[in-house]
Amino acid sequence: MSGASTGIGDTPPPAKRGWVNAFLLGIGATGMFVAMASDAIAVLGRHVGFTLPGSIEVFQVAAVIALSMAILLASLNDRHAAVDLVVGRASARTARALFLFGRLALMLTFALLCAGSIWVSADLWSTHEMTEILAIPLRPFRLFWIVCSGLAAIHFARQFLKAARQ
Amino acid sequence: MIMPEAIGLIAFVLLLLILLAGIPIGASLALVGIAGLSIIISPEAALIKTGAIAFDTVSRYELGVLPLFMLMAQLCFAAGASADFFDMAARMVGHRRGGLAMASIGGSAGFGAISGSSLATVATVSAVALPEMRRQGYQPGFAAASLAAGGTLGSLTPPSGALIVYGIIAEQSIGKLFGAAVIPVVTQALFYIAVIAILCHWRPSLGPAGPRATWRERGVAILHVADLSLLILFVVGGLILGWFTPTEAASVGCVGALGILALRRRFSVAAIGKAMFETLKTTGMIYLIVIGALLFSTFVSVTGITDGLVGLVHATGASPILAVIVMAGILLALGSFLDGLALMLLMTPILLPVVIGLGLSPIWFGIFLVRTMEIGFIHPPLGFNVYVIQAGARDIPLGTIFRGIIPFLIGDFLHLALLIAFPAIALWLPAMQAR
Repeated sequence: MSGASTGIGDTPPPAKRGWVNAFLLGIGATGMFVAMASDAIAVLGRHVGFTLPGSIEVFQVAAVIALSMAILLASLNDRHAAVDLVVGRASARTARALFLFGRLALMLTFALLCAGSIWVSADLWSTHEMTEILAIPLRPFRLFWIVCSGLAAIHFARQFLKAARQ
Repeated sequence: MIMPEAIGLIAFVLLLLILLAGIPIGASLALVGIAGLSIIISPEAALIKTGAIAFDTVSRYELGVLPLFMLMAQLCFAAGASADFFDMAARMVGHRRGGLAMASIGGSAGFGAISGSSLATVATVSAVALPEMRRQGYQPGFAAASLAAGGTLGSLTPPSGALIVYGIIAEQSIGKLFGAAVIPVVTQALFYIAVIAILCHWRPSLGPAGPRATWRERGVAILHVADLSLLILFVVGGLILGWFTPTEAASVGCVGALGILALRRRFSVAAIGKAMFETLKTTGMIYLIVIGALLFSTFVSVTGITDGLVGLVHATGASPILAVIVMAGILLALGSFLDGLALMLLMTPILLPVVIGLGLSPIWFGIFLVRTMEIGFIHPPLGFNVYVIQAGARDIPLGTIFRGIIPFLIGDFLHLALLIAFPAIALWLPAMQAR
């Protein structure tokens, strides 16, 4: 019942790529903790009497790292939710065809997200886009997102080809 | 040349079909949105919009509330929060007729405040409550039905994942949505308790009274949930009172959950790593859906289909209440074969402009939408909560559980009617927040 797996706290599937997951988890968790800490310290500061300038900017760039990793981890661990009312009742042949179609759709989605992001980044490249208060350059973070969405597209392309050959 | 409205209608039907074909929700929404934008505007504009929405979504500060509340939930799970709220409620009212069923409602509301998810709530509370209810001689269909109904509270109890997603898609204040959910959640729980009381008064064999717990036992059970309850009260209360923004509330909640983890002597790299891994995977899944929903929503707005719908409602002279009843009917019908999140993301871009056009509050609509979505969790043929319970209790036939749910569904429809007739149930608290 994959459609049901949109909730929090669902049972995880067994991890197949131990070290890859651990590596991505390390990067994603760092981003998440930095985002959390910058916001929590800013709240504390506001109530105690000091300010943390640019905490929102730190949060934003840390969130790009955490969320790009999150999308990649969800893709590598097959966590993208679907409604399986028909698939669950379909014959093996139909279910396989729908699975292939699903991989193709995911591959295409990530490829388009990646291509669109490359287009926007190319347009903005010469502007040396930065955050307002801390002047954090945004180019590396745009590139990071592009790499992650591209890797997700490659993952689903491989899955599609592998399943199509079987 | 096909009119944009016609393209919108065709895309809507196509989206419904590919969702039913099991294509991942995020990919379905994104592809239909991008294809529609390509046809109506241009492929280049569609691709640029795709790139802009994608990076904006992963870098927007306001959206950080979602992964952080999920992390807070996972850290609470790591701290051992499971069916403690049920245990506490069972010691308070377990000696009454139907008391354990009532406790399961209270336990679900408490656990729902941590998990923010209906399915997680029903799976966790039923794992402990169902064997206990059966041991005390509860009729299995009644016991399972009360748990399935109680589990739906997880979708609406703040900080609710569904309301956060709605707030993002509809661009509404998440703090106001949480405030608006408080009274509906309390009244919904009271409706379920009333259903249980009436049923057990009518047929006492459904839920026999259990042994009375001593005040010492009750005190221990209360202490067991005190830290988690304080955290939830602080986070949601602080948000409603305006002490912090939703994202800040979630960050503070994570720090608090880490503190509870340490207090309960469960603070370890492994525990935090597992919580983080679960959070990131679920977040990744939901973010793809959010990106897809934003693309679909952009497409719907350029088709002009919503303007047409608003015009149609005005042309027929339908009253707002009648329009809302029709919307409820559509949502309940679609909820028969779409899961809650897909239903919300599909219908919000279409119905929200109609709601605003009718002069209704988008905050109220968020509560109404999630409330309708919740009903879909227990009504046949989909009724995910029922399948979750049945997966853990194979000897109870699905038909028995669905029959047991009928009185709760009647309660749900009455509650929904009340919410439609008296929007103040949802809007009073946000109005107080604004003062």
